[in-house]
Order: sequence, then structure tokens, then C-alpha cells
Amino acid sequence: MSYLKLENVKKVYNNKVTAVDNFNLEIEKGEFIAFLGPSGCGKTTTLRMIAGLESVTHGDIRLEGKSIVDLEPRERGISMIFQSYAVWPHMTVYENVAYALKLRKMSKADIDKLVRDVSKTTDISQYLDRYPSQLSGGQRQRVAVARAIAVRPKLFLMDEPLSNLDAKLRVSMRTDLKKIHQDVKSTSIFVTHDQSEALSLADRIVVMNQGVIEQIGSPKDIYHESETMFIAKFIGSPPSNFFRVEVKIEDGKLYLVHNSFSLEFNGNERESLVDKYVNKTVVLSIRPENFTVNKGGFIKAEAKIIEPQGSHVIINTDIGGEEIKIVSDLLELETGENILLGFADKFLLFDPETEKRIK
Amino acid sequence: MEDKLLEKSYKEKIIRSPYLLLVPAFLFYLIFWFVPVVSSLYESFTSSSGQISLNNFILVFQDSLFLDAFINTLVFALLSLILQFALALSIAVLVNQNFRGSKLFLFIVLIPMALPPSAIGILWNTGLVESGWINSFLVTTGLQGLLEFLGILESIRLWKAVSGLEAVMTLILIDTWTVMPSIMIIILAGLQNFNEEYREAAQIFGATRWQAFKDVVIPIIKPSIITALLLRLISGLQVWLIGVMIFGFNNVPFLVERIVYYTDKVRTATNSYKLANAYSIFTLALVFTVAFLFLRVTGEKKGGYN
Amino acid sequence: MDNIWKRTLLYLLIVFISLSILIPLSYLVTISFSSQVEVNDYPKKILPSLYHNLAVEWDSENQNYILMRKNNEGIYRELYISSKYDKFRDYMKSQLNVDLSTERIEEDFLQAKNTGEPTEFKYYKSFLNNYIKFFTVFSGAERALVNSIKAALITIIISMSIGGAVGYALARTAIKRKETIRLASLIVRMFPMVSISVPMAVLLVGYGLFDSMLGLAIVYSIPNIGLTAAITRSIFMGVSKEYEEASLVFGATGAQTFRKITLPLVLPAFAASSMYAFITAWNDTAVSLLLTNKNETLALLIYKSIGGASSIHYAASGAIVLILPALVFTFLLKNYITQMWG
Repeated sequence: MSYLKLENVKKVYNNKVTAVDNFNLEIEKGEFIAFLGPSGCGKTTTLRMIAGLESVTHGDIRLEGKSIVDLEPRERGISMIFQSYAVWPHMTVYENVAYALKLRKMSKADIDKLVRDVSKTTDISQYLDRYPSQLSGGQRQRVAVARAIAVRPKLFLMDEPLSNLDAKLRVSMRTDLKKIHQDVKSTSIFVTHDQSEALSLADRIVVMNQGVIEQIGSPKDIYHESETMFIAKFIGSPPSNFFRVEVKIEDGKLYLVHNSFSLEFNGNERESLVDKYVNKTVVLSIRPENFTVNKGGFIKAEAKIIEPQGSHVIINTDIGGEEIKIVSDLLELETGENILLGFADKFLLFDPETEKRIK
Repeated sequence: MEDKLLEKSYKEKIIRSPYLLLVPAFLFYLIFWFVPVVSSLYESFTSSSGQISLNNFILVFQDSLFLDAFINTLVFALLSLILQFALALSIAVLVNQNFRGSKLFLFIVLIPMALPPSAIGILWNTGLVESGWINSFLVTTGLQGLLEFLGILESIRLWKAVSGLEAVMTLILIDTWTVMPSIMIIILAGLQNFNEEYREAAQIFGATRWQAFKDVVIPIIKPSIITALLLRLISGLQVWLIGVMIFGFNNVPFLVERIVYYTDKVRTATNSYKLANAYSIFTLALVFTVAFLFLRVTGEKKGGYN
Repeated sequence: MDNIWKRTLLYLLIVFISLSILIPLSYLVTISFSSQVEVNDYPKKILPSLYHNLAVEWDSENQNYILMRKNNEGIYRELYISSKYDKFRDYMKSQLNVDLSTERIEEDFLQAKNTGEPTEFKYYKSFLNNYIKFFTVFSGAERALVNSIKAALITIIISMSIGGAVGYALARTAIKRKETIRLASLIVRMFPMVSISVPMAVLLVGYGLFDSMLGLAIVYSIPNIGLTAAITRSIFMGVSKEYEEASLVFGATGAQTFRKITLPLVLPAFAASSMYAFITAWNDTAVSLLLTNKNETLALLIYKSIGGASSIHYAASGAIVLILPALVFTFLLKNYITQMWG
């Protein structure tokens, strides 16, 4: 039995706007799950439904086998970190962390020990007597984390907890959060719009777009085996490059024809292509790092803009009028140089209308 | 040459100094506020022969209407505050729910606050007289019959034929009609500027709706409400105009009504100037004392978390 | 399901509250449109009537006309008896707000004479009669109106200039002890105004400002400078310094930046605090009562008219004129009022 199960969850506002539809997900105990997607995709709404801050219009949510949709937030055994942290301004840090414990009528001694323990874990011990207004954003965020883990929740919910931090802090807090998740052995759901955050933190990622799930999978699956064009474009920095190619058969051989190149194709998808897409257009998606540069390719191009990144460079070029980004380790490349590009089988094919993967 | 340069930069510093922006305000308040206040204080503790004495205040306490004025003022200020706060709180919570037409409702509720006092005087005078619109309304809607049937009213009521505390009650009701909106606005502002996530967090971490309200919502919006109530209390202690417009001078005395009476009506007699002045200082002292006690009672921490 | 009960209760409450505010006002408006005769009507009407139901009967015995009016209870009461048409014209104009020419009256009344029966007429009132009359019945009403506007404008000028400077200084400059200043301005705002009206009167007499609009404006500015300072301060703090800096980088001088960038952005707040200042001056009765003698403001004039039982309809129309600016102001600012208190 899965730890948390969402069954056909649907959320409609005012009988008109469908924010989330057809949401199905099973989470095992101890997993770190990320809800990833652009603004408005429904990830926060879904999180709030799990928390009990929004009602579920249709469907069911079961925690450890029991349905929780009719329970108040405080009865669900969950904990949450809000995007704005929601650290109460009129209480000291100590009182903030202790609040939930006081409500559970724990003894003063127990509360004190627990508060000091989690404060040590989150490194806020020296701020216990201060008020939130006296703390920086990062410090307040750690208070929110301390508060959340003090209650030893069944489920640990996080709503874009790192979005309000500056870049460097964000990266270091990322690791801290993962470490806490492992130490405390919690089950966590992490909502973010930052795909690199999701890729680095999650065991599995739920990619959402416009209220529905695009794909559920491990970071590797999401990255390399994207199910939709949306995911191919959304994941990865720089994102995938897309070519519109025509499927042609000549002399029994299958070719993917672009105005700048023609590629003979024999991959697994050949059968599907022959079946449905002869003389039609499909989309070829290839990640920037999967190009070969000056290693015997078949596309001539000019390196228009070069962005050095230290360990690699990003080459901006255009192929047949479409702008392409390539990641290469040729650190000595110069702007305007002519390069020879190639790629092996490391690309994906998508149907241009459904935007779904052709398999 | 160097001296000239130094001089120039020094002058520039003075002209560019931001404190210059504060000078007009400072002068204004010095001349038009500080001076009158101090001179009033001085006058009140000085007898006509120029010696320091408490004579003026003794005159006040001996004034036949002093006790009534004092009691009426306190009763009015405290009761109207309680009534208006209770109403304002309930209505603010109501309006905060953003139902259809809430903007229009907000506008309607704000109207009484915008009315000039003299218009309010005319409004209620025309209402309270025997053939006024209050009785007209009761008769036209049939409520008059209903109330007589229930024994609440005996006949067409003479609203203005009241005195003493009954009159004060009448004024409290009129004042509530006028002033409650301004308190409601402030509570509403506090509620609307309130970050819902604070309350949600409390609910996640174990609080019931009521506990969340008590532990999180109220403490956070409290400061602005306290300020509003304090201002209301201070205004309430200075009530006079509505009393005079409805009942005339001397009939339902208030402290400030006495001040105005002695200043305006009896400008010729020398005693009246002293009385007016002494009443002013007495009222001032009362206002500060009550304000201080109020802040104590409501437990405002200095600094808190702002 | 209990949500429906909650909703119903909510709406009932809302309707009840709205009516308790609108009904008294409606009565006031009706009174302001009432003719002299209607003032004595009982019960009073909630909504103004646009016409009278009159009847004319020819009394052949005494050779004159009897003019009757149908009152609220549907009964015809005698109003006026005369044989002369122009007397009727004067009567109807002054007592009924009905403005008809003598010829028209003659034409209509002759019908009654000819038929020998009481003939009914429906005459429309000239609507704004009371409002126009207000300025003639109350001597000095026009001057009072001008006075009110004068006092209000001067108050705006004083408050905005002095208060605006303070607000800007608090928001933008590096002055020390800003908290002390804020506290001080709060105290001044809280300070019971009437308690110092006595020495204020003496002071103004000393400066020769007693019974003047400038004197009034000064007193009105005492709380308003503080209020303006607070409003402008929070608005200046809301306008990002970077807008100004961008302007300076692109070549504008400090003054140009202030004129073209800062000022337009803070204009809404300035407008709001001007309106507040205006309303303080326009609405006030207490201060003007004590600090003026002959130069009344409009509000003071209305106050003094309380008690004159026979001319309440004119007083009511004056009151309505007095109310209008405040009403407009409230309507314009209702969406921003909650923000301003923040």
C-alpha cells in the first residue's frame, strides 16, 4: 500500500475554472517528490489540497490508506513550509517553533528539548529569543523549517521554500533541505518552478502544465525520456532544441529531412514513423550537450555567439533559420568560427500536433 | 582662496540640508500649537491678580453643571466606544468576505462618516421631533402599531423629551450611526492587509479556527485597531456638538459643551474666560489619563514587532 | 447546506444596515425638496414627490375659488381662498413650489368655474426651487459658500506644502530621530483640538487673524499637516528610488526628475490628502463657531439654522449642498481608503 495516494483529484473554482484535473499519484514512504511546472500549472493548488487548505472538488486523497479529504489540516499529521515562510511576527523564534508543540499539550521540558534539538539541526540556536523582523530572509526560512520538522510530521510539504532567497543561498539551502529530509526520514513533497532544483532534489518529479500531469518519473527519465514537447523544452538549461523534419522513404530507407540536413534513421521509432508519419512533419528534439562539434558531423554552421561557462561553452548558432544552442567542451572556440555539427541517436521524436513522444 | 571654498561648501551644506524641510513644520507648530497650549496651562493656574492658584479649578468644580457634565462625558465616551467597536468588528468581518456588491456596500457604509456635523444635526433634528421622520417611518411601515402592541411603545414617542442619561443614550445611538463606519474601515484595513498564510500556518500546526484567530490573527491586527479605538475614545471624551444641536446648550451638559458655552455664549463676563480655560485644562488632563489607562489595559507592548 | 443559511443571514444583515443608513438620508433629501406646505405634512414621505394633486372648486356664494390639496392620507384639505388669479400664482409659487403664469392659472381655474364641480389638477413642482431659495432666504449664504471654499483651499495649500515637505524628508532623506518625529506627529494628531480653542482664539485675535479664513485654515492645518506628512511619507516610500535614479542617469537634473518622474507618481496620494484637508475645512463647525464672528463658513451657517422650524426645507437643501463634496470624495476614494490606513 502506498503511503500517500491521490486518486483522480480534480479542483474546480466557482463552477468555471478547472485548476487541477485528473491528478493521479502514489508516493512511497520516505520519498522526496517534486511538483514541477510553470506558474499557474496547478502544483501549489494540489499541494494545498493535500494540506487541507483547499477543498477537493472530485477525487480522493489517502494517507496510509485512510482518506483525509474531510479532515481539517491539523488532523492530517502534516507540516508545511510556505513560500512567504509565514513565520509569525508577533512571536519569538522559540515561540514560533514551540507553538504546535504547546497545542499538543507536551510538557514544558519536552518542548524545550525538542525546540533546541531542531534549532541545532537548522542552525538557528542563537536566534531563539529574537523576533522574525530582526532576522534575514534566509534565517526566517530556517525558522520555518525548524517549526515544520519539530512536529515530526507524516508528510512534509514545501511550497517554493527557496524562491525568495538569493541565488547562492538557494543552492546551499537546497542541499541542507535534502540532508534534513534524509536525517529526519520524512516523506516530502516539494513544489517549485525551478527545474534544476527539482532535478537535483527529487527522487521522482511530477511535471505539471495547465492543471494536468505531463509526466511522472525520476529525474533521469524526465530529462532523457521526456514524454512531451513541453517537458523537453521546460527541463534542462539550456533547453532542448527543436527541428521540424519531414519523414521520407527512399529506396526502402527512412530519412528525416530538414532543409539543412538529411538523416537516415533506424531507431526504435522507425516502425511508428513508417506507420503514420510518411511524408508528414515530425519534431526532432535534441539536447544541447548531445551535439558533436568538429568531430565529423554533417551540418555546417557558424558559431555566432559564444557564452563561456568555465567548464564548458554554450554556442549559439542557427541551422536553417532556427536558433540552436549547443553545449561543448571546446573552450578555445572563437566567435564567427565555422563549425561542423553532428549528432548520433541521442534525440527524441514528437508528434507536432499532440506534442507527445513518438515511440 | 581656500577659505572661500570652505565657506561655499559650508553654505551649500546648510542649504542642501534635509532638516530644512522640517523647519516650516517646526515653526508652524511652535507658534500655533505649542504657544497656545503653554499659555493656556499658565492661565489656568494663575488667578486674576497674577498669583499661582488653583482658584480657577475650584470655580469649575463649583459649577452647578460640572458633575453632570463629567458623568455624561465619561458615560458617553465609554459606552459609545464599546457599542461602536462591537458593531464595527462584526461588519468588517462581514464585508471582508468579498460578496457580490461588497464595494457598493462599502460605499454606503462610509457615507455617514463623510457627513458634516451640521448636516447630521439637521438630519436627526428633523427625525426626532414629534412629527419628524422617525415617527413617520414607524407609522408608515406599521411598526408603530407593532411596537405598541408589544408594549414597547405607549403612543407616538416624543424622542426629544428626554433628559439625563436617557438623552445621553439617544446621542450615543446617533453618534454610532455617524462614526461606526470610520472604525470599521480601520478594522477592515487590518483584515485585508493581513497575510492569510499566517492563519493557514497556524491551522496546519494544530490550531482550530478559533485558536488560529485568537493566537495569530488578533495579535497581528491588534496594533492598528488599538490606535483607532484610542482616537475614537479621545474624540468621544470631547463630545459636545451633537448634544448642542439636538438638545441645545445647558440641557445635556458635557465637559467640552461647557467649554464652548463659556467661550462663546458668555464672552463678556470675566469669570467665564477663566472657567472656559480651566475646563479646557481639566478636559486635557482627563483625556491623557484615560488614554494612558486605555493603553495599559489593552496591554500594548512598546516596540512589539513593528 | 448550512452555507445557504449563512448566506441568507449575511444578505439580510447587509440589507438592514444599508437601509438604516439610506432611509434617514432619503428623508433628508425629501425634506430638502419639500415645499412649504409639505413641511407640515405628517407622516413625512420617504421619497420626494414631483407634483401636487390639487383641486379647485368655485364657490359661487362668495365668488371665489377654493384651492385644495390631497395630502398623504388621501384627504383633500383646503389651502387657500381667493378670487384673484395672481394671488394664487404667488401662493402656489411660495408655498407649493409650483411655478405657473397667471394666464395659465386663469385658464385652468375657469374650467372649475364653468363646470361648477371641483376639478382636479396635477401640477409639477419646480424641482430646484428650494436650493435656489436657500441662498436668498439665508442671508449671507452665498458668502458663506465662498468662505468655505476659501478656507478649504488655504488649508490645502498650508498642509500640502508644510506636510508634504515633512513627508518627503521622512521618506527620502537621512534625518536622524525619524521615530521621534513620527511619534510627535502622532501626538499632535491625537491632541484634543477643542481644548486649545480657548487660547487659540486669544492667539488669533493677537495676530489679527480672528474671524478670518486664514485663521481658520491655520487651525485646520494643525492636525492636517501631520496627516499629510504621514500619507506622503508612506507614498514616497512606496515610489522606488530607482525610478528617480534612472532619470538622473539619463541626464535629467534633480528638479526635472522631481517634476517629471516623482510628482506624477505621488500625485494620487497628494490628491487624497488634499481632499482630506478640504473636507476637514469644509465640514467643520466647532472651530469656526469659536473662531469667527461675522465671516461664517457654510457649515456654520447651516448649524445656526438648526431650530428654525418653519424653514427646515431650506436648511435641508443647504445641508444637502454641504454634504455633496464629502460624498463625492468618499465615492472616489473608497477603493483606496483601506490602503491609506496601512
